[in-house]
Amino acid sequence: MFEPQLLMRVIPALPLAAAVAIALLGPRVLKRSCHALLVVALLGSLVASVLLARQVLTAGAHGEDHAGKNHAAAAASPEADEHSTAAEIPQTTLWRWAAVEGATSSSAATYASSGGEPFAESQPLDFTIDITLRADALTAIMLVMVTFVSLLVAIYSIGYMHDDRGYWRFFSYVGLFVFSMTMLVLSSNFLLLYVFWEAVGVCSYLLIGFWYEKPEASAAGKKAFLVNRVGDFGFALGIFLIWTLFGTLNFHDTSAIDGVLGLNRIEAAAYPAGIVATAICLLLFVGACGKSAQFPLHVWLPDAMEGPTPVSALIHAATMVTAGIYMVARCTPLFAASGYAGYVVAGIGGFTALLAGLIAVTQTDLKRVLAYSTVSQLGYMFLALGVGSAAGIAAGMFHLITHAFFKALLFLGAGSVMHAMGGVIDMRRFGGLRRLMPVTHWTFLIGCLALAGLFPLAGFWSKDAILAAVYDEAAAHGTGDWEHAATFFNYLFLVASFTAFLTAFYTFRAFFRTFYGEERIPPEAGHHAHESPAVMTVPLMILAVLAAVSGYLLHVNETFAHWLAQTPGIPAVVHHEGHSSSHSFVAMLSTILAVGGIGLAAYFYLGELTQIDRIARWLRPLYVASYGKFWFDPLYQLLIVGPLWLLAQLAYFLDRYLIDGLVNLVGYLPRVFGGVLRRVQNGMLQLYVLGMIVALLLLAAAVVLPRLPVPEKPAESEATSVQPSPAPIRVGHRPPTLPSPDHTSRPLRGEGVR
Amino acid sequence: MNEVALLQNYLVVGGLLFAIGLVGFMTRRNTIVMFIALEMMMQGVAVSLVAWSRFHNDFSGQMLVIMIIAVAACEAAIALSLILMLARRSSNLDIAFWQLLREEGQEPTLDEEVPAAEIEHEPWPELTPAGVEPELDPEKVRYRSHV
Amino acid sequence: MTLAMWLAIFATLYGLGMWLLLPRRIAAGRAAGAVLMTAAVAILGTRLVPPGALTTNILFYALAAVTVVSAVCAMTFRSPVYSAIFFAVSVLATAGLFLVNGAQFLGVAMVVVYAGAIVVMFLFVLMLAQPEGLAFYDRLAFEPLLCSVSSGVLVFLLTITLLTPGTLPSVAPLAEAGADGRAADGLPGVEAEAHVAAIGARLFSEHLISVQVVGVLLFVALVAAAAIASQSRRSPPPRTAEGGTA
Repeated sequence: MFEPQLLMRVIPALPLAAAVAIALLGPRVLKRSCHALLVVALLGSLVASVLLARQVLTAGAHGEDHAGKNHAAAAASPEADEHSTAAEIPQTTLWRWAAVEGATSSSAATYASSGGEPFAESQPLDFTIDITLRADALTAIMLVMVTFVSLLVAIYSIGYMHDDRGYWRFFSYVGLFVFSMTMLVLSSNFLLLYVFWEAVGVCSYLLIGFWYEKPEASAAGKKAFLVNRVGDFGFALGIFLIWTLFGTLNFHDTSAIDGVLGLNRIEAAAYPAGIVATAICLLLFVGACGKSAQFPLHVWLPDAMEGPTPVSALIHAATMVTAGIYMVARCTPLFAASGYAGYVVAGIGGFTALLAGLIAVTQTDLKRVLAYSTVSQLGYMFLALGVGSAAGIAAGMFHLITHAFFKALLFLGAGSVMHAMGGVIDMRRFGGLRRLMPVTHWTFLIGCLALAGLFPLAGFWSKDAILAAVYDEAAAHGTGDWEHAATFFNYLFLVASFTAFLTAFYTFRAFFRTFYGEERIPPEAGHHAHESPAVMTVPLMILAVLAAVSGYLLHVNETFAHWLAQTPGIPAVVHHEGHSSSHSFVAMLSTILAVGGIGLAAYFYLGELTQIDRIARWLRPLYVASYGKFWFDPLYQLLIVGPLWLLAQLAYFLDRYLIDGLVNLVGYLPRVFGGVLRRVQNGMLQLYVLGMIVALLLLAAAVVLPRLPVPEKPAESEATSVQPSPAPIRVGHRPPTLPSPDHTSRPLRGEGVR
Repeated sequence: MNEVALLQNYLVVGGLLFAIGLVGFMTRRNTIVMFIALEMMMQGVAVSLVAWSRFHNDFSGQMLVIMIIAVAACEAAIALSLILMLARRSSNLDIAFWQLLREEGQEPTLDEEVPAAEIEHEPWPELTPAGVEPELDPEKVRYRSHV
Repeated sequence: MTLAMWLAIFATLYGLGMWLLLPRRIAAGRAAGAVLMTAAVAILGTRLVPPGALTTNILFYALAAVTVVSAVCAMTFRSPVYSAIFFAVSVLATAGLFLVNGAQFLGVAMVVVYAGAIVVMFLFVLMLAQPEGLAFYDRLAFEPLLCSVSSGVLVFLLTITLLTPGTLPSVAPLAEAGADGRAADGLPGVEAEAHVAAIGARLFSEHLISVQVVGVLLFVALVAAAAIASQSRRSPPPRTAEGGTA
């Protein structure tokens, strides 16, 4: 088998190579066959990821007493033993990026490890950044998901983008994105994480603004980029604080220093507590909010739907937006040490889930409904992570995986509809498409059911896990000092349940409006109005199957939780609660809510739409607020963009008219003078002579006139002939500095001839 | 003999010659006359040099004048052949004809109006073309039309 | 009246006379210009210190007056032929001045080279290039007023610098050396018989390389003049340049 070190290098290298090759050869050589390169590369990455995941998960699972069906065979493979005895987490260093000698002192590192006690003796430590890749269970799961979804999306894009002018550009960007995303989850260093965090942001920016001729697309790209900068600013500050405290940014342990998330530190539980830890966690969470579109930085994700739909599926539903979840899960030891940060994470997550769900109810743009649904589901995941229990984290990551499948499916289905409707995505303009696009209809239905959380589809299991985790947390804090926490989590449970209801409702609202009712096709559709080609429907079917069964497969026997528990740090630091008996209650509740939401949507949206108008009138303020997305965009426009715009206008005017004006003046004055002087340059030789003579006369006058003797009676003298001079030098008396010539002593040149 | 006065007077004469030559060079538009003016300026310099030579009782000044005369001869040969060439191209000796080397976009300095009235009334000398026997116009003979 | 005032009057008269004399649109005023110019030269003459004995003075003043006046005539007469002839006269008078100043060889050389060769060459060229006589551009001066004013300022500066006592060395280097060969009548500082020989000796000893260089220069000029003149013969027919001839 393959060494995990090799696999870790291959996984990001293949998409990068494909991206570079497509960028170089695409426009001239490959042209319409760019996709082949990328699909092959992504297939290779997927195979490598699966192999890596098998090795990592079985190695970690070795010796643990469980008999998961899925990896019983894997555990029996002989390779597993080798790796379990070797380094517990495979890692590989590509090269040393930066090395600063004596950049920090050991006191910083020991401050953290000694729990806040400053160490008396401080030794200088070297600050080194290695390009180190590291694959634990969390990474392996993410890798498989990322490469799998991106492979399907790449195949789907062959059909979706088939007559686009930027065909090669699209596949190059996607390759670059997959490289960045795999490197993000593989990196074993906060700085490296940050670099690829930005890299996926850049790819997202490029792909949102893929149709840059469209003003909305370029504006959306800009918006995504700028809103993400706010989050990244917090992330960067968090990294600075980590370095100040820990003296290193590595996750892994090195011989010099224990890594931030290294085994040594986790085992020793050497994490600072209190306000500093909370500060670190909240700063990191600001970054996660930006990337994962949480309140108040959620505004960019709906606008990001201006990009091509496969991009929305890949980047803005399945992979990149989950980077924030991944990062918070990765930093579980830090969050666990903080104590308070989890409440913030859970609170923000729950609030965002509710907010986005409310907005999604009234949106008429199919992709925007899905985008707000994504925001809502991401809020769900943060809620689960914020709970902080092992079950909560497992539930959050579980939902991440299942959500990736069914949301990618929904987006690709929406893309299929959009493709058929000639680019129209407004649900008011089409309807009743189920006969026209049967495959899309059925796969979309499966996706909707999964998203709504109906038994036994994927969404049911993961959403149920989240609700259960929240419910358990509330129950665990039942009495005493933690009463407030219990109240808090009880409210969150209510919010999450209501959101589950909302999710079912808006999902099926979109589904019914699109596929049922009177068949309406907008005129833009033209000859496109038919089922999509196989290259698009086959990925839909694969994803539909996964959306249906992945939840059960991963949930049965707690497979996913066991996999995730092999991640060092997650089981060691989180607190365990005993499994309560409430799961059946939660499952029943969520199923009732989902069915209720679906039924309500069917009641309102199947058939005539008269009922819903009455409801909308009845709930007019709420309807308007929801339809206006709670006015976040105008609010930000007024509070942040407006003042900044005014400032920029001021700077622009200063630059344009003051500074540029000065510079232009500097350039303009010589032109004016030159314009005067160029009239002198008229080609008349005699004028030039005249100019020379006038200048010569001025010089001669300046030399001669002051040296003339002052007349005895100044009143009689002609003022024109004698220039007044403060200290006239009398002619005949040379200036004293000059040696007086002695005429008599000069040799006589003519003497020889006489 | 007042040597200083002699020097002074000669220098004044030389300076005057130079100044007069300069006026001629700047104002006259006939290239030949301009060249004469140039020679006159050199003559003024020669007068000054000779005066200084006398004053210092040194032959170097006179040597320099000899060189000047030789260079003037060279100059005359080349300049006159150039003038001849220009005259062949423009069919006149007007220096204002050759004002192409001016700033872009600059209007040419146009000639003033020719005072036509004077042409009839003033008899101007005229050179006979070389090797051609002049045609004797009885009307022109009255005006001393040939020199 | 101070010297400066006299010279200012001289320079003013000179400038005014020159302006009136130069070819202009109007022919009137040329006689007045001649009068003014004569007056200016006369005023300047009164300001000069007579250099020596009576004969010398007469010779000098006469020759100097002829030189300057004929120079003015050469510059102001409208016919280039007259200009050339007056230039020849000026050169002849200058040669006389050289003789007075003890430069006999140069005087002769001036007559031979300038009056004899160069002026004749001028006339030949005039004949070749301008056979029809006076052209319109000979009756129009370029910026006569401005040039006359600047020339007046120039002569004022020159004369005031030269004639103010003290600007020149007040004592000649050999003023006291009248005994060692200087003629009593103030004519040449070296014996007349030895003059040309002395010049020749100096020319071919001290200035030998200069003489060679000048010889080469003359030869090159000869070749160049021949080349240019023959080139002009082969040149294309005259093209009309912009500007110039109206």
